[in-house]
Amino acid sequence: MRAWIVLLSFAGVVLLLRSTALTSLAARGVVVDVLAFATVVWALRHGASWGASFGFALGLAADLDAAHWLGRHALALALIGYAIGRLSRTLVRDSVRTQFVLVLIATVLHQTWSVAFEIGAVEGWSYLAQRVLLAALVTPPLGVLLLVILRHGTGQPLFGHVAVDARPAP
Amino acid sequence: MGGVLPPAERHSSALMGLYATLSLLLLIMGDHIPVGALRGIGAWMFSPFDRVVLTADRIAAAWRENSLLHLQITRLELENERLHVAGLENESLRHMLQLPPWRGMPLKPAEVLALGGESLPSSATLSAGTRQGVKEGDVVVTESGLLGRVGEVWPTLSRAVLLTDANSAVACEVESTSVLGVLRFMTLPHPHLELTGVPLSDTLRVGQRVITSGMSRHYPRGIMVGSIHRIGRDSGGLTQTIEVAPAAMLSRLRHVFVMTPPTLPEDKP
Repeated sequence: MRAWIVLLSFAGVVLLLRSTALTSLAARGVVVDVLAFATVVWALRHGASWGASFGFALGLAADLDAAHWLGRHALALALIGYAIGRLSRTLVRDSVRTQFVLVLIATVLHQTWSVAFEIGAVEGWSYLAQRVLLAALVTPPLGVLLLVILRHGTGQPLFGHVAVDARPAP
Repeated sequence: MGGVLPPAERHSSALMGLYATLSLLLLIMGDHIPVGALRGIGAWMFSPFDRVVLTADRIAAAWRENSLLHLQITRLELENERLHVAGLENESLRHMLQLPPWRGMPLKPAEVLALGGESLPSSATLSAGTRQGVKEGDVVVTESGLLGRVGEVWPTLSRAVLLTDANSAVACEVESTSVLGVLRFMTLPHPHLELTGVPLSDTLRVGQRVITSGMSRHYPRGIMVGSIHRIGRDSGGLTQTIEVAPAAMLSRLRHVFVMTPPTLPEDKP
C-alpha cells in the first residue's frame, strides 16, 4: 500500500510541476523534461517492470492533459522506464556520471519523439534540434543536482549498490 | 517495496509488450475516445494542489504588478474620460445613422490553474465552470487580448483551448485595413501564429494590429489578437505568410476573463 502511495504521490508531484511552473518556463525557452527525469529515477530505483509501469502511467496522464495524440508520451516513457530498469542492475546507480548520462539519453529520446508529433514534417528539424538541445542542456544538470541534494539530505544512497547478481531477469 | 510488488521482473518483457501495444492502440484510435470526463476528474483532483503551488508565484507577481497597475489605472482613468465623451458622440451618430447600439459583453474573471502543452501552452485549466456561468464556446481573453475559447466545461472548472492549439482557427482582420485572414497555429519552421489566406495584393506593414473580424460565429469583432511580426511570401506564390505576435503573454498567464459571444438570431432554438 505504501508503495502505491509513494508512486502516486511522486507521479502527482511530477504532473503538478509540469502543468504549473515548468510549462511557463518552457514558454520562455527553458525546457525541463521532468517526465523523462522522473521515469529514469523510478526505473533506476525499482527496476524494469516498475519503470515501465510508472513510465506508462505518467505518460498516459500527460497524454490526457494534451489535446491530441493519446499514447504518445505513454509509449516513449514506458520504453525508457523498461530499458533503464533493465540496465539498472548492471550500473553503479548512485554514480553522478551514470545518472547524468541516463537522464541525458532519456531526455533526448523523449523530446525527439514527442516534439516530432507536434512538428509533423521533416522541415521542422531545426526547431526539433533546438528544442532537444535546450532540454538536454537543462534537464540532466538540474536532475542530477536534485539527486545529489536528496542524497546529502537523506544521508544514504538513493538507489543502493549494484546487485551482485548482474544477470538480467529471465 | 519488493514485498508489495508482484514478481514483475520476470514478466517485465511481457508487461512492456502490453504497454507498447496499448500505447500504439491509443495512438491510432485515441482521437476517437472521449476523454473529456477523465480530464474533468484530473482537473478537479489537481486544482487544489495547483492553487497551492501557484500561491508563491502569485504573491511575488502581485507585488510587482501592484505598482504597474496603479500607473495603468491613472492612465486609463484619463483615457476613460476621453472615451466617455467619444462614446456619447458615437451613440448620437449611430442613432442618426439608425445603426443598432453597441453592447458590451460581461466579463467573468477566472484564475489559470494549470497549463497544458509542450513548447507553448495549448490549453489552460480555468477556475470557473458552469456554476460561474461559463459555457462551452465562450471566448477567453486577458487584458492584453484574445487567448482562445472554452473547450470543455465542468461544474467548477473549465478548460480553455488556446490560440496555440493545432486545431485553432480565428477569423481576423488587420486593423484599419480591412484585410481579412484566418489565424492559425503553425509548427513549421518554428511554432508561431500565422495569418493565412491574405493575397499578395494586400499591402501590410510590420507592427499593424490584428483583431478578430467577427466573420466567424465563435469570436465577436474587435478583440485584439496581436500584431504583425513578420511578412513573407507563401511558397505557392499566391498569398502572404504573415507571422503574428500574440498580444496575450502566453508564458505569464495568471488571470483571464471569460465572455459569452452574442448569439446570432439563427442560432437561437
